[in-house]
Amino acid sequence: MTPEYFLRSLLMMILAVFSANASNWLYLAKLSSVGSISEEETCEKLKGLIQRQVQMCKRNLEVMDSVRRGAQLAIEECQYQFRNRRWNCSTLDTLPVFGKVVTQGTREAAFVYAISSAGVAFAVTRACSSGDLDKCGCDRTVHGVSPQGFQWSGCSDNIAYGVAFSQSFVDVRERSKGASSSRALMNLHNNEAGRKAILNNMRVECKCHGVSGSCEVKTCWKAMPPFRKVGNVLKEKFDGATEVEQKKIGSTKVLVPKNSQFKPHTDEDLVYLDSSPDFCDHDLKNGVLGTTGRQCNKTSKAIDGCELMCCGRGFHTEEVEIIERCSCKFHWCCYVKCKQCHKVVEMHTCR
Amino acid sequence: MYMATASFSNRVGQAVEKSCSSISLLTFPAPKPTSSLPSLAVKCIDVQKGHHSSKWFLPWGKDQCESLKGFDEASSRLIVANDIVFAVHIPFIGHEMSPWFQFMLIILQLDIAFQFRNEIEENAMLTLDVAMAYRDGLNDPWTEMARSVEQRKLKCVLPVPKTQANEGHNYDCDLLPLLELGSVAHKYYLLNIKLPVNDQKKINLGIGEIKDLRLVTIFQNGGFTQVWFAMKTFLTPSILIIMIWYWRRITMMTRPPVLLEKVIFALGISMTFINIPVEWFSIGFNWTWMLLFGDIRQGIFYAVLLSFWIIFCGEHMMVPLVAQFTCSCCREGRESLRDNSADLPDLALITSFYDQAERNRISVYWKQVGPIAFGSCCLFIFDMCERGVQLTNPFYSIWTTDIGAELAMAFIIVAGICACLYFLFLCFMVFQVFRNISGKRSTLPAMSKARRLHYEGLIFRFRFLMIITLACAALTVIFFITTQISEGNWKWGEVTIELNSAFFTGVYGMWNLYVFALMFLYAPSHKNYGEDQSNGCTGSGSGEELQLTTTIANIDGPTEVYRLAGKESQE
Repeated sequence: MTPEYFLRSLLMMILAVFSANASNWLYLAKLSSVGSISEEETCEKLKGLIQRQVQMCKRNLEVMDSVRRGAQLAIEECQYQFRNRRWNCSTLDTLPVFGKVVTQGTREAAFVYAISSAGVAFAVTRACSSGDLDKCGCDRTVHGVSPQGFQWSGCSDNIAYGVAFSQSFVDVRERSKGASSSRALMNLHNNEAGRKAILNNMRVECKCHGVSGSCEVKTCWKAMPPFRKVGNVLKEKFDGATEVEQKKIGSTKVLVPKNSQFKPHTDEDLVYLDSSPDFCDHDLKNGVLGTTGRQCNKTSKAIDGCELMCCGRGFHTEEVEIIERCSCKFHWCCYVKCKQCHKVVEMHTCR
Repeated sequence: MYMATASFSNRVGQAVEKSCSSISLLTFPAPKPTSSLPSLAVKCIDVQKGHHSSKWFLPWGKDQCESLKGFDEASSRLIVANDIVFAVHIPFIGHEMSPWFQFMLIILQLDIAFQFRNEIEENAMLTLDVAMAYRDGLNDPWTEMARSVEQRKLKCVLPVPKTQANEGHNYDCDLLPLLELGSVAHKYYLLNIKLPVNDQKKINLGIGEIKDLRLVTIFQNGGFTQVWFAMKTFLTPSILIIMIWYWRRITMMTRPPVLLEKVIFALGISMTFINIPVEWFSIGFNWTWMLLFGDIRQGIFYAVLLSFWIIFCGEHMMVPLVAQFTCSCCREGRESLRDNSADLPDLALITSFYDQAERNRISVYWKQVGPIAFGSCCLFIFDMCERGVQLTNPFYSIWTTDIGAELAMAFIIVAGICACLYFLFLCFMVFQVFRNISGKRSTLPAMSKARRLHYEGLIFRFRFLMIITLACAALTVIFFITTQISEGNWKWGEVTIELNSAFFTGVYGMWNLYVFALMFLYAPSHKNYGEDQSNGCTGSGSGEELQLTTTIANIDGPTEVYRLAGKESQE
């Protein structure tokens, strides 16, 4: 068996096994062992990519590091946003990254798809602004060099490239299916909602530079929001997500709200098809870790409160001494000199 | 009957037609006037001991520096703040800067995350050790352009409440102007920025936890520059020719030019001064003072334009009551006029004479022109302090120090007060003229035909200028507001109109046309001579002595008036 043949059959196997989940590329975030993605062969070794994504990887090698960074960003942000909920966006070291929760058409899946497509758009745009991607920046759009050059009309926004790349890389799986199944429609919608969360929250900044600095001449540009802001926006959309079902209108299939009383969702809203499990019990088969052992807040009545978090199983309380850093001296970067303070706190963990 | 009016409006019609076509032609191809190039600084590590300043750090490409992805990585590698150099290459990979960009402004932005233990202190001051270099070939060595230690005030607010849950949220910080270059003579620029920390000297302490440093480079688009140059090159000869024609008309008169004529001529000169496309030279030469020069040129034009409005109103305030002839052979006409003036005993011929001599000097208008001159001087000094000093140190900004900011503010406020004073005077004068006119209007039917026509000509002329001035000003303001509100462009089918370029070229063209029209319409008529002689005056050069006590330039109106007056008296 030649190594080439072996690789190809491995790839086929990967494809066969994981083709059910379109968010498998998020596994890239886990691949810290693979250094920088700089050779075409590395693309084929990457777990979780479908064939067309591998092709894109080969064609856009220098962008792949950003894609990986985007996946990491997305997972970090997801874990931050869900830190107080029963499902806390915990990842597994196997595929699928989030367990089966995300393979079903749940609210959580909607959030994961949105935040990950936003993460890629964000990371690619950032890389563009650093100036080292020669495919983007200034007059180049995702489809090639714009007709009018940089010297004639300057730069177009980098965000256009970031978003376009995210569209072609993240959406490729759903598109290849022909966007017919309701899951595909849901994923596509949520992917787009994630990117819209960036696009609609761009900050406009302006500088006046006319005669003597007057506002006779003003130049404005759009700056990307911090990713935390994107996360917050999507979390809000998660809380107000719309349950939808597929309907055929004319010859096209569209998603419409299940409850016709609700007003139809917009491009920016998240949509889901199936209701979520309660995430209470450990269920490895479905990738649900359960809430046993999770910390909870005794005083809170919300989802992070012990009542709800522990699903009524009750909780342990123990006094622990924690060592905190206090009266610190900081520099703007990298330097912190602190004293250590000892503090005794009550900690509640779910049974 | 209204021949004066008719010929006047004919001229206007032609001029308007001409302008409309020229403005619309020029705005279409222009891209937006300026571009911005946002870049994220790469965090290079300065591993050398002693931090030699001669080394340049490149963010990417050949010889790229060793860089950090994030600062979390730095603490584990025992890298401190003083080892970090923010490197930015302008422009992006695969592009070149060009002299067509005319100028370059760079703005600095910091992404600072909120941390409870490391908040931004009140009145935090940022100290930057900045160096800038250029090169013209990708393999050339970098040449240092400027190096300076600069201070900038950090004004940041946290958009969310300061709670534990909001840690990691970014502050909203004001833009920090970093540098201004008056010419873009080189292809590649490199900026290396350090934020040195010194505990003893309290430098860069309490500035929060910096996550990223971003720069935004603003420059004029090459395409816009070309359209702009083309426009200037086209407008220069048009204004120049009409100016020469205008001055020839004036010198053809035997009387010395009156003040208003001189001011209109000065307006022509200052317009030409703006128009002359000296910017062509900036393509070949590295003239960094171009930005300052442009400000001065615009300043002069504004000052002359404002003075013109005041003087124009002033000259119409004494709407002449009497047309006084010194022509010996037109005695009949003069007498008839003098007789008629008896029905308006409030102003005598003598006072009219006196007024004319008085009003023909600029010093009469010191009260109104004074604020203009003073305000312009203030703005000039301010500009010299800002853009003048930038010629030697491009990183300099008057706003960064407290004294400088107060001084700059003082200059601007004084200039603002002058502007207010000026507009009060102007409004008052316009009001007076209108009162004057309405006073005259009531007496018009009682006057002889000739005198009535004469007045009507004057009133019409004043009203006309009033209307086109107001129209121009209103258009300018409307355009300005539109571009401020709706950033971007309008689409009409296939054609996209960049609002901002349309605004600049349109307004510029419009004021050029305004000046053009002024000189064209208010030039004294040369027809006086022939017509007056045909009236039967026998004396040679009689027309030369003909003078109206109006202190305004003779247009067709008065000429026609005289002719009619002559005929009427003969009858």
